[in-house]
Amino acid sequence: MTAGTDTAALAGRLRAADERGLNATLSWSEGTLEAEAARIDALRASGAALPLDGMPVALKDNIVTTDAPTTCASRILEGYRSPYDATVVTRLRDAGALIAAKANLDEFAMGSSTEHSAFGRVQHPTHPDRVPGGSSGGSAALVAAGVVPAALGSETGGSVRQPASFCGIVGVKPTYGRVSRYGLVAFGSSLDCVSVFGRTVEDAARVLSVIAAPDPLDATTVEAPPLAPEPVPGTLSGLRIGLPAEYFPADLDAGVKAGVDQAAAALRALGAELVPVSLPHTAFAVPTYYVLAPAEAASNLARYDGVRYGVRRVGPAGNLPALYRATRGEGFGPEVRRRILVGTYVLSAGYYDAYYQKAQQVRNLIAADFTRAFAPGGVDLLLTPTTPSPAFRAGEKTDDPVAMYLADIFVCAVSLAGLPAMSIPAGLSEGLPVGAQLIAPAFGEARMLAVAGAVEAALGPAREVR
Amino acid sequence: MTIGRDDVLRVAELAELDVPARDVDGLVAQIGRIVDYVAQLNDVPASETAEPFQAGPDEVRLREDTPGSVPLAHGIERFAPEFRDGLFLVPRLGAMEGE
Repeated sequence: MTAGTDTAALAGRLRAADERGLNATLSWSEGTLEAEAARIDALRASGAALPLDGMPVALKDNIVTTDAPTTCASRILEGYRSPYDATVVTRLRDAGALIAAKANLDEFAMGSSTEHSAFGRVQHPTHPDRVPGGSSGGSAALVAAGVVPAALGSETGGSVRQPASFCGIVGVKPTYGRVSRYGLVAFGSSLDCVSVFGRTVEDAARVLSVIAAPDPLDATTVEAPPLAPEPVPGTLSGLRIGLPAEYFPADLDAGVKAGVDQAAAALRALGAELVPVSLPHTAFAVPTYYVLAPAEAASNLARYDGVRYGVRRVGPAGNLPALYRATRGEGFGPEVRRRILVGTYVLSAGYYDAYYQKAQQVRNLIAADFTRAFAPGGVDLLLTPTTPSPAFRAGEKTDDPVAMYLADIFVCAVSLAGLPAMSIPAGLSEGLPVGAQLIAPAFGEARMLAVAGAVEAALGPAREVR
Repeated sequence: MTIGRDDVLRVAELAELDVPARDVDGLVAQIGRIVDYVAQLNDVPASETAEPFQAGPDEVRLREDTPGSVPLAHGIERFAPEFRDGLFLVPRLGAMEGE
């Protein structure tokens, strides 16, 4: 079978997803798929090693490519076409992957439901009245709907693990510095990570192994040994897995708790020792994140000014300040505008120490919680719920930003600490997927993925857990 | 902490962001709710002299400080709103309008 013959079926799946109203893609074309297939056929003919030979991979549309627009789901970048490819795109292509589509997202990756796209909300793949999570909801929906086996998203505060949980697939956030961000449109630079969705742990691990490497074009990447997937272990004897009390509150959704309990039981049956631990600053992760991420966003998004990129509007005064204000006022959607205003507020004179500086200090405390848990004599991994509830209904949280932010309560702390973590399917609650989260020490992805593979094999196909 | 209309308009000015008059009241309520929510950080005992969190590697590798061109698939003029003779074109600065 050649990549060329695969593209017809792939195009059919993409078209079917669009026609059913999933709204998960922002751009794809049969011409681009055929060009990708021809490129892969040439690689095969050259005898190159292709670890992802012909694998279709979708990209969140905040990862730049030269052959398709990159919009970040924002009117302000409508029609923008990057003059270079992101490093992760080059690595995927060199490994034989087929770039299938650019996927819808919350505008500039700001959101937890993919309802904040300028091009319309993404539907949950099995429950159209629900959200797929966010901000990488388009990538998640395409994988969960069986359109592609893997996709790239990006995480700033859980934007891959949370939609992976809502959609019943695997989502992996690597260690900060493991994967190049060259060509990932910046949102929160001390937090942003290119991350991976897969139908299975193996698919996600294969993709992550290809994109994880130092990059001279991204000074935050770390010289770490290559990430080599480990075989799924037959036993987890000797492994200590921590259950942080703060992630199991009394009001945790019963279905989510049942799913994580099932994953814990599988780990115990495989020989792992489960031990209670405490991460005492967990409750402050969301407020810390919603100071730091908007502050960094306000700085990063200052570049969208109507001079160098995308659309331009000129206000009534007709001068340069009027151009900046009108372009940004009309180009950004409500959530992005709100976060820029919050970020500017917490960075402004008189408030910097009270909010931004304080949040940086609390971030240190949150990171120190994890350092203590993983210290010698501590645990090897942590097991938690990924989200406090299954996928919520579209529109349910759009009027209350804080309620929306709290959907990320179990994923934010890991992002602040820069650690690797992943969500794996842990069953269904009244038909809706629930996820279990594994958290590892920095650069502990290989063991985390191997353990996740063992849990996946033990749990088998998703089934009702309540 | 109470956020008022003046705060929102002042921050919008700092952020170079037009906010339609019809949206101001909603933003006052939403940003006030967010600021009240994050204010709980003040309850966390944390040393005021604590070092800010450093994301990423301890030592950042720096590229050679030599000028060079990045290969581009197409020129800047393809995505700039107005570009001529190697320059981005913009309206006059307000401060220069009398000249």
